[in-house]
Amino acid sequence: MDQFLDQVEACVPALRRYARALTRNVDLADDLVQDCLERAISRRGLFRPSGPVRAWLFTILVNLYRNSRRSTHRRGEHVDIALVPEVGTPAPQPGHVALAELARAIETLPGEQREALLLVTLEGVHYQEAADILKIPMGTLMSRLGRARATLRTLTGTPAEPHLRTVK
Amino acid sequence: MTQMTRDMLMAYADGQLTVAERAEVEAYLGSNPEAAADVALQQRQNDAIRTLFAPVGAEPVPDRLRVERLAAAHKRGQWRMVQQAAMIVAVLGIGIVVGWMLREGGDRPALHDQLIADAVSAHTVYVAENRHAVEVGGDDAAHLSTWLSNRLATTLAMPDLKVQGLSFLGGRLLPAPAIPGGRAAQLMYEDAAGKRLTLYITPSSGVGGPSYEEVDFGTDTALYWSNALITCTIVGEGSAATMEAIAAAVFSQLTPGTAAPIYRG
Repeated sequence: MDQFLDQVEACVPALRRYARALTRNVDLADDLVQDCLERAISRRGLFRPSGPVRAWLFTILVNLYRNSRRSTHRRGEHVDIALVPEVGTPAPQPGHVALAELARAIETLPGEQREALLLVTLEGVHYQEAADILKIPMGTLMSRLGRARATLRTLTGTPAEPHLRTVK
Repeated sequence: MTQMTRDMLMAYADGQLTVAERAEVEAYLGSNPEAAADVALQQRQNDAIRTLFAPVGAEPVPDRLRVERLAAAHKRGQWRMVQQAAMIVAVLGIGIVVGWMLREGGDRPALHDQLIADAVSAHTVYVAENRHAVEVGGDDAAHLSTWLSNRLATTLAMPDLKVQGLSFLGGRLLPAPAIPGGRAAQLMYEDAAGKRLTLYITPSSGVGGPSYEEVDFGTDTALYWSNALITCTIVGEGSAATMEAIAAAVFSQLTPGTAAPIYRG
């Protein structure tokens, strides 16, 4: 394998992680990553080898994700019933409840906020690079991150004291 | 106390700041416990998100996402495209070459050569017949002329070759395999010794080629010519000189009024 393919391969785990967090669906996520890799490989001639491969791959992935969301929106949102937690069921472990609640809260975020939040927190991408990947101005990125965090805080209570919600 | 923006605090929580900026924010947080709690909350959120999804990055990568494999599949796809392109070029090339050969008389014989070959085949088959050498007898020359003229969509007179010592036996309609859907008229003559001579006549539209051609087939000689209306191939056993004399008589009678063929040498 040449250097380009090595660089692409090194990004695959991160791409899968990001796609999984975005879609919360193993197959859908891996479909997106596969599409992304196929596009990257077939368009490598158009790619400037001096630029960062990771940012380029994430840009492709985000575009594919947005396209897939547009088409699922037309068909109507599909919600896996197993992923919807039952209301009022006491959870055995407070820590688990907090994480499950957080996952559910992230799912309720608008797609554009979810994209930004996960890129920065999960992937540790620098703000400027994230703004470039998402093709939005820096100010827009900051406001999306701010709104995403405020929503999460409201929906999950304060993760600092998750036991307050589950312990009598 | 430094004025601190929310964005700056968020950037701190997200680990986006330089060392100098970080020091600045930490100094601020030291004297603002509310802001510090807010930042701590954000950091815990970040940690929780990483805890939720980070394990995916450690999962073994399924085969379908292996880059080497995808690159190989892409190469195969490209190679298929190259092959398809090559095939199209090859087919076009064959078409061009065949077209050129047909025009120039390459591997495949030119149309007029095929007509000569068909004339010789038809000659060989029917001169050997005694009772069925012709379809319509020479005694009904007027009917034969009308019939064959209609079938060939041209006006054909039945040449009289008595001066050349040949009696008219009659004629038949034949397919002309060299021309798609083509028809040919075969007229047969016989001399006093029973040696037979045939004329193989087709319309000349679309045939092209030379106006005159003489081909020696051993015992038989074929003389071919074409004018604006017809092609005619005379096949017989006579010498070239005899055949040429016959050809001149046939030509002048077959399609009266058209220009005489230009004889080579």
